[in-house]
Amino acid sequence: MTRSTKAIIRLPLLKWLVIEMAAVITLSLLWLLESRLAGYSAFIGGLIFVIPNAYFAHRMYRYQGARQASMMVGNMFRAEGIKLALTAVGFAAVFILMEPVHVPALLFTFAVMVVLGGALRFLIQPKRQL
Amino acid sequence: METIALIAAAIILGSGALATGIGFALLGGKLLESSARQPEMAPQLQTKTFIMAGLLDAVPMIGVGIAMYLIFVVAG
Repeated sequence: MTRSTKAIIRLPLLKWLVIEMAAVITLSLLWLLESRLAGYSAFIGGLIFVIPNAYFAHRMYRYQGARQASMMVGNMFRAEGIKLALTAVGFAAVFILMEPVHVPALLFTFAVMVVLGGALRFLIQPKRQL
Repeated sequence: METIALIAAAIILGSGALATGIGFALLGGKLLESSARQPEMAPQLQTKTFIMAGLLDAVPMIGVGIAMYLIFVVAG
């Protein structure tokens, strides 16, 4: 069952990750022009988005097909809850453990990555395997 | 100042969670309904749901970041 349903949709997770990481590194380099701390904070802000988002995308497609529709929806709810919790934990950890932090760089990079993540899902959609 | 920041963070997190919950409930309900109506369309519907889920949680995610900033930096 699992083998046959896995063949339905191929998730371009690696492509998304590569593009998102390239965007995070570019933004970090741009913030690095201001200061080293800003560049580092921007990179951390990008990672706080990329890691929970990759987990969500991976978990969302664990079940596929109409026969497993209820499990698909339940899995989506769980994945979304864990994604939000991971984001909150990431921000809390940064604000507690990383003492000098450039907050505008952190939040700006995070917000840009949230917008870019939504746009990427539109532009590079999961493909159906024949 | 700390109390106001904590109340603001609570409002941001609470309203974000409420809105995301309503949105995901509607989205999941429609996905189940559509999959039952047209089972052969289930993979495409799942992809569309996945895209909409990303758009749906964009604003609450930014809200979580701002709320954590208010809790741990402004009020902390």
